[in-house]
Amino acid sequence: MLRPIYYVAKATFHEAWRRRFLNGILVFAILMIGSSRVLMYMQPGAELRMLVDIGLGSIRFFGLLIAVFMGARLISDEIEKRTIHTILAKPVSRGQFLIGKFIGGVTTVWSNIAIMGVAFYGLVRLTAPRVAAAAEGESWVYSLDLMYGRVLGSIGLIFLELFVVTALAVTFSTIFSWILATISTFFIYFVGQMSEFIHQLADPERGATPVAAIVLGTIYRILPHFEIFDMREAILDPARPLPWEHPAKVVIQTCTYVVVVILIGYLFFNEREV
Amino acid sequence: MCFRIRRCCAIATAIRTENLAKLYGTDSEGRPVGLVGLTLEVAEGQIFGLLGPNGSGKTTTLKLLLGLIFPTSGSGEIFDLKLGSPEYKRRVGFLPEGPYFYDHLNAVELLRFYATLFGMSGPDLEKHIQELLELVGMWDRRAIRVRDYSRGMLQRVGVAQALLNDPDLVFMDEPTAGLDPSAQIEMRNVILRLRDEGKTVFLCSHLLKDMEPICDTVAILSRGTVRRLAPMSELLSGDSPRYVLTVAGQSEQVQSRLASLATEVRPREGNLEAVYEDQGAALNAANQIGAAGAKILHVGPERRTLEEVFVEVVGGE
Amino acid sequence: MSKSSFARYGGWLMVLILLVLLQPLSDSVNYERLIYGLVRPMPATRLVEKDFTVVPGVIAGAILGGFREIAAAMIWMKSTELWNKGHGTELKYLSMVRTTTLLDPHWLEPWRIAGWHLAYNMYVEADKIPDPELRAKRKAQYMQMGVDCLKEGISWNPDHYDLYFELGWTYFDKVRNYDEASKWLSHTLQFEHPEYIERIIAHAYERKPEMQKALDWYDYCIKRNPADGTAYGATLTIHERYLTAWRLMEEGKYDEAIEEANCYLAVAPNNILPLHLKAHIYEQAGELEKAYKWWSVAGKTALNAHARERAARLARQLGKEVPPEPADIMRQEQMAVPERKF
Ligand SMILES: Nc1ncnc2c1ncn2[C@@H]1O[C@H](COP(=O)(O)OP(=O)(O)OP(=O)(O)O)[C@@H](O)[C@H]1O
Ligand SMILES: [Mg+2]
Repeated sequence: MLRPIYYVAKATFHEAWRRRFLNGILVFAILMIGSSRVLMYMQPGAELRMLVDIGLGSIRFFGLLIAVFMGARLISDEIEKRTIHTILAKPVSRGQFLIGKFIGGVTTVWSNIAIMGVAFYGLVRLTAPRVAAAAEGESWVYSLDLMYGRVLGSIGLIFLELFVVTALAVTFSTIFSWILATISTFFIYFVGQMSEFIHQLADPERGATPVAAIVLGTIYRILPHFEIFDMREAILDPARPLPWEHPAKVVIQTCTYVVVVILIGYLFFNEREV
Repeated sequence: MCFRIRRCCAIATAIRTENLAKLYGTDSEGRPVGLVGLTLEVAEGQIFGLLGPNGSGKTTTLKLLLGLIFPTSGSGEIFDLKLGSPEYKRRVGFLPEGPYFYDHLNAVELLRFYATLFGMSGPDLEKHIQELLELVGMWDRRAIRVRDYSRGMLQRVGVAQALLNDPDLVFMDEPTAGLDPSAQIEMRNVILRLRDEGKTVFLCSHLLKDMEPICDTVAILSRGTVRRLAPMSELLSGDSPRYVLTVAGQSEQVQSRLASLATEVRPREGNLEAVYEDQGAALNAANQIGAAGAKILHVGPERRTLEEVFVEVVGGE
Repeated sequence: MSKSSFARYGGWLMVLILLVLLQPLSDSVNYERLIYGLVRPMPATRLVEKDFTVVPGVIAGAILGGFREIAAAMIWMKSTELWNKGHGTELKYLSMVRTTTLLDPHWLEPWRIAGWHLAYNMYVEADKIPDPELRAKRKAQYMQMGVDCLKEGISWNPDHYDLYFELGWTYFDKVRNYDEASKWLSHTLQFEHPEYIERIIAHAYERKPEMQKALDWYDYCIKRNPADGTAYGATLTIHERYLTAWRLMEEGKYDEAIEEANCYLAVAPNNILPLHLKAHIYEQAGELEKAYKWWSVAGKTALNAHARERAARLARQLGKEVPPEPADIMRQEQMAVPERKF
């Protein structure tokens, strides 16, 4: 039952790591993270902010590229290149194949983020004490330990966020060609960034008509909510309480949503002719 | 149909389909495209050939049997299991048409990957992989990546992967396409050996010359419909067995003498063939012509080639 | 179809059930985000409230999605580069800084710089305008824009002291509206803040003038930090020069109070403190004509919004023609044609 999933995932992971395109993104990301150190010296007084914002932003950005461009090809490429024929002729169910592909994709994305994260964390540990000693207390950096924690926490949130993105990409790739799957994933990603805005538009107290309230409200309920991965305010501010239950809830919400997305992908894939 | 009546009670059935259809709409003349309604039953232990011109629905049939696509109507079973269920795939091997594999792997890695899907592993597997690659003549080229393969190499590795699980039933789509002559012979031997081991082989092809010597039973498919379904011997000997006399050379003199006695005289491969209604007439003619000094090559019942039967069945379509 | 419809519809039913089950969790997470202050109001939030000045920010936010911060950082760097190359007074620089505030409204530095840039640099830059009336108008405009910008920044970041201080300081130092200055500076006290703010509050009271309150704040500073030389010196000065006049005024001995104030006015005729004190004493004494005259004098010594406002108030009381002041000119125009800020 689980063996085929494991081996499909393993093959997917190995194949992804041999893709020059993805390796290129990773190398470029590491260069970019490294350059955040150079860039930050152009900003006296805001060095650490620059370092952290550019570094984390790069990890998220390049992680997103990897997740979308790899995820959107996972199933559609197998179908277009017809490699799926010999695999589905083996005792592998479509569900096992899909889950294996997804797990292989997610582990690829996660391992890429982990590499970028380790590189960046190392850079922060090296650079921050010196900068903090030189600049007297920028208002937002209250303590270095807090900032290290913030960096790790933010990387954790990137893991979660790209978990959802990969699930979306895989599901779209069971339905569409890889180009369309890529576009759709990016589209949902950016709309999902604004889900809170859609929520407000659907609020009758803010002047939404009943029809708009129902339509937009439903869209909001179905859309992924990428805002929940934004805890920057709390991570920045030691005065704000953030009990561990909150991130725990976010993890549960994310995992459930991923299950929903992959289930939808399975329902489409089960009907898909290859 | 006659085929089913004859064999079903004695031997187990590997494949059974009932009005299996996959319709892709209609062509410009309003005729249905795809597979229109396939009813067949393939007994275990034989080589079954599904023959038909391009676009007649052979690949479609295979994909339906393997659950890669879903029928518009009708049903089918393999080893008494519903089409598409992963269970029977344990006992099945598949060589697709112009096979495609993960092209970043080499032959050994590829077979190892497929083997894991069957849950196979360990040192025995490595030996098994070596045997298979030796069988298809790829062992000494095992380090080359699939991406750099020629058409024939793909086909060879395709066969190796289809035989990985020692299947009871092997599906092969155009197995001889893209192979050089000696490889075609090797392929033929592989297929015959499978039958000797008691396996069932389901072949799809339009290369009739390759199929003729190996198939036990043949179905001729045309535009999605089975036109003939019969054992190969029955198909080739025809309904009313006539006799043929083959004489060397094509001299005018011999030809005219043959014509006087035979139903029909035709040139063939530099020789002459005369067709007679029965055995006696043929032997009689042979004696006369032999006495006259002509060189008799062959006397025997008329055997048509598969090609002839095929053209007759498919006709001008 | 070969797939059983139960598997298919069962699957979709499952999707629906999971989505429904997810909603309470999602709502609770959203609620917690609100109470833990994790919600960052995107510019889009203000669009719902029909504030259309944020349209460019919404578009940028939509395109950049979660990458607003990195974009903000990049634009910010670019703007610094412009500044260093001496293009700081070009509109381009300002719009870059403002774009940064739109993209990352919780980054305080760009707000601070934008406000300072408008109220100080652009204000000085307006000196190049030859037409005096237009010049005065522009100067008042830039000052007002700086103040508005800081107020907008506060609306995004109401729980950090930085922008309250920045606004209070701009009122104190540039606009010289000491009522507003003391008000905004006092807001900073609810947060962790640097020590010098209480001193500036005391300075503001001193200039209003409200000598008793000024002394109280200096006193607080000295008690907090006995080594606070500035507060100590200021206390001495008040005691030495102005307290006698202030006490006499409080006792109703206005003539003596004026004489006392005149002593120090003679020493420093342009000093804002004795000028304000004298005008204030006249006002308390009910000699509105004289108060008006002295507030006007004080108003002219520097751009002193506080003195001018009090002079204008008296002028209205006395039925005089209110002298137009630059800020007034601008306000009237704004009412006629609502001017759009970038
Ligand atoms: N996905 C599809 N959509 C529409 N039509 C299709 C599809 N797949 C096959 N067909 C049509 O079905 C018919 C049968 O195709 P099929 O591939 O089974 O032929 P074939 O017998 O394998 O031919 P060949 O000998 O060339 O391999 C063709 O007319 C083809 O155009
Ligand atoms: Mg075919």
